This record gives sequence, structure tokens and C-alpha cells, in this order.
Amino acid sequence: MSGVTLNNVIKRYGETQVIHGVDLQIEDGEFCVFVGPSGCGKSTLLRMVSGLEETTGGQIHIGDRDVTTEDPARRGVAMVFQTYALYPHMTVQENMGFGLKMNGYPKAEIDAKVAEATRILKLEEYLKRKPAALSGGQRQRVSIGRAIVRGPEVFLFDEPLSNLDAELRVEMRVEIARLHKEIGATMIYVTHDQVEAMTLADKIVVLRKGVIEQVGAPMDLYNDPDNKFVAGFIGSPAMNFLKGTVAKGGKVDVPGLQTSIKLPVTLPSEGTAVEVGLRPEHLVVDRNGSTHRVELSESLGGVSYNYLVSDSGEKIIVEERGVDRSAEGDVVGLKIDPESARLFNADTEMRIR
Amino acid sequence: MSTAVKDRKPLGLKIALWAFVSIWFVCAAFPFLWTLWGSFKVELDFFSIADWTNAIFGRNTADTYGRPFTGAGYDGAFVQEGFFGNAINTMIVCVCVVTISLTIGTLGGYALSRSGQGYVFWLLITALMFRALPQVALVSGYLPVFFDWNVWGYLPTAIIVLVAINQPFTLWMLHSFFESIPKDLDEAAKVDGCTQFQAFRHVIIPVMWPGVITTGLFSFLLAYNDFIVTSLILNEGNRTMVPQIAAFLGTTYTEGNVMFAVAAVVSATVPLFILVMFFQRQIVSGLTAGAVKG
Repeated sequence: MSGVTLNNVIKRYGETQVIHGVDLQIEDGEFCVFVGPSGCGKSTLLRMVSGLEETTGGQIHIGDRDVTTEDPARRGVAMVFQTYALYPHMTVQENMGFGLKMNGYPKAEIDAKVAEATRILKLEEYLKRKPAALSGGQRQRVSIGRAIVRGPEVFLFDEPLSNLDAELRVEMRVEIARLHKEIGATMIYVTHDQVEAMTLADKIVVLRKGVIEQVGAPMDLYNDPDNKFVAGFIGSPAMNFLKGTVAKGGKVDVPGLQTSIKLPVTLPSEGTAVEVGLRPEHLVVDRNGSTHRVELSESLGGVSYNYLVSDSGEKIIVEERGVDRSAEGDVVGLKIDPESARLFNADTEMRIR
Repeated sequence: MSTAVKDRKPLGLKIALWAFVSIWFVCAAFPFLWTLWGSFKVELDFFSIADWTNAIFGRNTADTYGRPFTGAGYDGAFVQEGFFGNAINTMIVCVCVVTISLTIGTLGGYALSRSGQGYVFWLLITALMFRALPQVALVSGYLPVFFDWNVWGYLPTAIIVLVAINQPFTLWMLHSFFESIPKDLDEAAKVDGCTQFQAFRHVIIPVMWPGVITTGLFSFLLAYNDFIVTSLILNEGNRTMVPQIAAFLGTTYTEGNVMFAVAAVVSATVPLFILVMFFQRQIVSGLTAGAVKG
């Protein structure tokens, strides 16, 4: 078992550079999740670790070994693909044992390892079936089994749950978390689904346009984002951003809330344009106020998301719980806890702490 | 579900459909059945000018041989003229052409489908252009060189030319089959410890079987049915079946035996029927490819 280190890793396709010098340290046994919008380079980065994509510049280390120019087969990695990529002409058993067979392991050892993986993934009754006779969730389990059997130093998951329906996705997510506990290997997991990222990760890497925006534990990213992008990307529904200006007396004018708030941060000079970030769950609807109108209300049962519009036209999403909730068309106010607000520079989008 | 839909069709439509299919079947099968029937007659019956029903009832055949059927045509073609040797030549040519063009075609088609380079398209277009040329144009260009090198008339020469003519087509067809196989499969195999060639051999080719068989069958038919190349390149002793049949028919200068030709035609067609029936499932699944799902 060993960690993964990326040193100033660069990827270029001809003239276009897609990964711009990524530095990253993934510890041994860590579950690291790459998230970001589509086209941010997260899959490319994963494929560079796997060796399926050549690295244009920089170094990749797995443990102490420099694997930058190594073949995928010799890197000690196993990969789980979004499309499962099971070999259609082989049974589940043959699929799982194929990697070991190609590496010349004796048959008895292959059988033992396949049996062990089968037990972990509860696939016993499907061993003799071909992939075509399996459901999506079962196929993905086989593909994870294929990775386990090889006993790799690093597991790579490339959006493994994207092809599954919602219910199975939750089930498999739990399964992968359990697997990580049981095996304890280093895992790198790519997803665009932030629920997967939040629930699975020890460490989340947020990528945008081939650059790491922030690295940290899930709750650290949620509570303490470095910039507006991370703040908006982590959390669902997304954080509300309201335009504001730094005013006299250490206050920030927020037209969207028709108020000034005093934030416990070091404010820039007066008149600087800023953005105030407020999470839907940190806002409280004030039924006695009259600053906002409820334009739309989405009730999910235990929780409602209300889409509020201020007089200045800015939209705010507010979470409401409990029995007494506001309805569409209501005119309400908002209560803000300054402690929970996050302030960002409007130009650089960097956090003001 | 398909039965339910079928049942709902009105009777008139059903009758029309069956009538159409029957007419089509008769039209398609008639020439062959007619030839098969006629091959057991004498020339006077089969090509009777006096009365076309002679071809059916074989009156002249009965006059000559005492019964309305005779194996004289087959006897002449196989025993007298040694048509069996021509059949063996055809088999040699076909097996070699199919083996060589499938070997080059699978390797080349796979390489092209996985390369991702811009020149792949132009390579394939060039190949298509050579395929589109009339074969006579290619062969007439080869002939002087073959005479020069003293290789004219032999089977290997014909095999090489047929492979050359056939290759663009096999490359095209196999290339598109390989394109339909997800690249994830190669990648999974590579992560599993395969080299690119091992991935090709252990993972891609087994998935490709329907495509390989379909393409192989088409190359086989091309080699089997070829007339231009074999008739221009092979000498009298090395002829394959098709040019030999043409020789039986005779030319303006030489007298042929038409009934030998008819018997030979039937003998040359039967193996094709057997072949297509044997491989029909693979051909269908090959032609409806995309059935290869990761």
C-alpha cells in the first residue's frame, strides 16, 4: 500500500493545455475524490495516474516509485470504469481473474483471490454468468471485483456510479465506502456528484479548468472555502451569492437583503465590491419581514427550498423545515447570522477572511 | 410483442405480403432451380429452340440415354476435363486470400481505429479510391511486370493480386467494426496487465468474431467469384473454377461444351449455399453490429 504524489503535472494535447501544473499529495490509505464541472480535467488527471493518458510534464509517484512513463500494467493500479468495461465474452469469474491470469499467477491462487473478492462483493451466485446477463449494479460490482482481485496499491474510480439509477447509486456508494474500510487501500475517485464526494472522501480535490482550486476534508471545504468557485460547488442547493459593497464602520452593504451586515472578517478598503455568500440552510425566513417575495417553493417533504426574489431582483434560495413553512407568493423577510456568511472579493473571487 | 403486432394486420395486407414474398422468392430462386434441373439434360433439351418444354421433360435426353435425366454434363466436366482440379485451385486461392486479408485487415483495422491520428481518414479514403477503380485497370497494369518477372500464370500471383484488390474493403469493414467496440475495453485490459497486442488478442478479437466472420465471408466470396483477375493472370493449367466455366462455354475461336459449363456452374454454386447457411447467424449478427456492448 502506498500513497500517490503528483509533482507539477501537466497535460497538453498539441497546443491546448488541459492540466496546468497540478501538485497533490495523497496519503497511503486515503480516499481522495476529484470533483469539478465537466471538462475540468478530473478524468484526465485520473487517467494520467493510471497511465492510460501520457503525462506531458511533471512527475507522478506511487509510493517511492516514479511511474511517470511506466505502462499502466506496471503501475500497480486498478481502474473501475464508468461503462464497467467488462469483457463480454468472459464469465464473471473469468473477468475477475483475467488480470492475474495475464500476469501469470497459478490457477489455484487466482481462484482463491476471486473467491475472496466474490465474498466481499456478494457475487457468489453470478460467477458463471456473462456480463450481458447482469444488471447495471451487478456489472459495476463485478468491475470493482476485478479491481480488488488484482490487489493493487491504488484503486482508481472513473465516475463509477454515473450509469446507475438513483437508488442503486446510493446502495453502491455505501458499498464503496464499506470496501474502503475493509481493504484500506489508497483510492482515487472521480465524480461530478458532490454528494458522492462529500460522503466518501477523506480528501476532496476541487478542480476547475485543469487547476486545483482547493484541497481539503469535505467539511473543511464546506465550512471554509478558499474562493467563490469552491463555495458555490460544494453544497446543495448551492450557496447564494449577493452583491455587496464595503461601507463605513466595518459593515457591508447588501442591497439584496436591504441591510448592512457586520462580518467578523478583515474588510478591504471602503467601496470595494464584494460578494456575500450565504448557504440556504443558514438563512431563516422571517414571516414578519417584507423584503422578499417567495417566487417558487419546492417541497421535498422533510425540507422545502424556497426561491426568494429581493426588490433588487437578486434570487436567494432558502431552506425551511418544520410545520410552518412559507408558501409561493408570500412576502417575507430574512434573518442572517453574520457568523455563517462568507465574504468574497468580487473581482478575484477569492475569500476575504 | 411482435406477434401481437402481426396479428393486428388486416387479412388483405397479409395476403399481399405473402404474395409479394412468394413472387420475390420465385424470381430469386428460379434461375438457379432452372439451371439445376437443366444440368441433368442434354444441350438439345436445355437450349431447345423447337420447344422450351423439352428443357423440363427432357425428350432428347430420353432419346439419347433412355431416361430423362443424365449425369453426362457432370461426367464430362469432372472426369473428362478434370474440373475437380479447378475446384481445388479455387479452394487454395480462397483460403489464402481470406487468411491473408483477414490477418492484415484485423491488425490494420484495429490500429487505425485506435490511433486517433488525422491521417487515418485519408488513408481510408485512399484505400476506398483504389477499391473503386475498375479491376481491369489494376490488372492490366500488373500484367507486363508479371510477364517480365516470369510469375504470370501461377496461383500465388493471383492470390497476391486478389488480396491487393480486396484489402481496402476488408480494412474499411473491420475498421468500422473495431470502432464500434468501446475503447474502455482496451484500457481495462491494459490496466489488467496486457500489452496492446495482448489486449487485441485476448479481449478485442473474441468480441469481434461476428465482424471477422462477416468480413471473411465477403472476402471469400470475392475470391471465389472473381473472374477478371483469375482469367487474366492464371494459365490454362492453374485455372480456378470461374475461368474454367468460361472456358467450357467456349469462345469465338474454340468450341466449348455448354453442358459441361452448366454442370460446373451448379457444382460451383452449391458450396456457397452451404457456406451461407452455415454462417447465417454470424452474418446477421455481424451485419447488425453495434450488438457489441461493453
